[in-house]
Amino acid sequence: MSVVVAGVDIGSTTAKCVVLGEDAKVLGRSLNPVGVDIVKDAERALEAALADAHVSRSEVGFITGTGYGRYKVYFGQLVVTEISCHARGANFLFPGTRLVIDIGGQDTKAIRINDKGEVVDFAMNDKCAAGTGRFLDVCANALGYDVAQIGPLSLQAHRAVKVTSTCTVFAESEVTSYVSRGKDPKDILAGLHASIANRTLSLMQRVGVEPEITFTGGVSQNQGMVQALQRRIGASVNVSPLSQYLGALGAALHGRDRLRGGAS
Amino acid sequence: MITVGLDLGAGVIKGAMLEDGRRILATASAPSRGNPVLAARSVLDELGETANLAPGEVDYLCTTGFGRYSIPERNLQVSDFTSSARGAVFLFPKTHLVVDVGTQASRTMSVSETGKVLKFKMNEKCAAGAGRFVERCSKYLQVPLEEMGPRALAAEHPKLISSVCAVLAETEIINNVAEGVPLPDILMGVFLSLSQRAHSLMRYVGIQPEITLVGGLVRNVGMVKALDDTVGMPVNVTPNAYYAAALGSAILGHARLLKLSQSTPGTRG
Repeated sequence: MSVVVAGVDIGSTTAKCVVLGEDAKVLGRSLNPVGVDIVKDAERALEAALADAHVSRSEVGFITGTGYGRYKVYFGQLVVTEISCHARGANFLFPGTRLVIDIGGQDTKAIRINDKGEVVDFAMNDKCAAGTGRFLDVCANALGYDVAQIGPLSLQAHRAVKVTSTCTVFAESEVTSYVSRGKDPKDILAGLHASIANRTLSLMQRVGVEPEITFTGGVSQNQGMVQALQRRIGASVNVSPLSQYLGALGAALHGRDRLRGGAS
Repeated sequence: MITVGLDLGAGVIKGAMLEDGRRILATASAPSRGNPVLAARSVLDELGETANLAPGEVDYLCTTGFGRYSIPERNLQVSDFTSSARGAVFLFPKTHLVVDVGTQASRTMSVSETGKVLKFKMNEKCAAGAGRFVERCSKYLQVPLEEMGPRALAAEHPKLISSVCAVLAETEIINNVAEGVPLPDILMGVFLSLSQRAHSLMRYVGIQPEITLVGGLVRNVGMVKALDDTVGMPVNVTPNAYYAAALGSAILGHARLLKLSQSTPGTRG
């Protein structure tokens, strides 16, 4: 029986897939933007990760879907919430994790977990774009930058500009008004990252801040955000190049558990 | 006695010129476009031209709105709640509840027979329920602002928006477009969403007829229809309600001027 498993995480903004082999080794992965046809995006994510892993579809023993679009992963055998998957993935990469911060394209979650990677408690904001990746997207746009540029730029700030608007729409106007007043975009960016860090901390406090803290989701790839968050919390956070894939990784691991459980 | 009320809102500057606090001589508006003071000057000039009066013939200038402190030659400034309430009662004397959906804030207040504010509730923290949301929809749906209302009236099955957040609603609306939902249904969904936000503010204050809509969205027939349907009763609307806060501040300016001239006989303004 094949031990190759795949996890497909369909987020609001990107689709991620991780293929795991023997000993839970990551064989391949993929990351693609999500469009209108989610079913097709899910298939594309799997194919791209399989190509990256040099594994054929027939070798995959189990597929798990997760994320906002998890019910559109029609080819999967299991569906798990992204909360459980991020918990499992964070525990796998950083076994000492007790709190997972997932800042995605359209929502933010704080998930408290135990030493087995099981969810103990969680809080989430999916009602408002403030404090999510979307907030950064909108503000990057308003400043004329690509979202990938803004984290490093924010780290070059001299004096962060305080952003007072919570609402993304109003923050966008606030940013524009700072630009017209001649403020340095780097200082504005530092203020925007600090604003998200503030909102993230209050979400974390709802479940209890407990080290180790592992930062996941697309925004965890933003170095400016990692530093702003660490400064605000006053503690370091775990980040890995795989952080953005933790949902997919966790899904694959849940599938692996299921497969092994069934086999034994 | 000539008084001018100037409403320096977040998006548009509105002005009204009154004679004896009763007769409307002129109204004017201009988008603030990042320079509200300049826009305010052009509104003042336009009021003078329409009424055929020189600036020196204005006895009293009363400002209101977000930027009310930015005009140095003002004689008085009043809060936008006070001025909108007074203006609404001037236009519809039986008003008990005033709803104001502005560019950046929406507010509602219950008022006394004399136009005094009794209780109010405001949302200025979030673009959901504010005119800015409509402006953004106009941009990404590529429907000019002034066409949005009339086109929404053709809706057969309004597409409700589940997201409260204006930014998250944007994604939802774009997905609806991609799925082929007819434009009028999408537009009416936008106005219903705004109406629902307004309705929850109104419920907080207490719904009691007559209800008068003032501010930026009074000229939008789609918004008026959505608000009527949401509240379950017709809401008072008139084109001049667009200027309610400016009218109210001109009236309040007149009242102040009267008081001043009574307390110091022989002087005027």
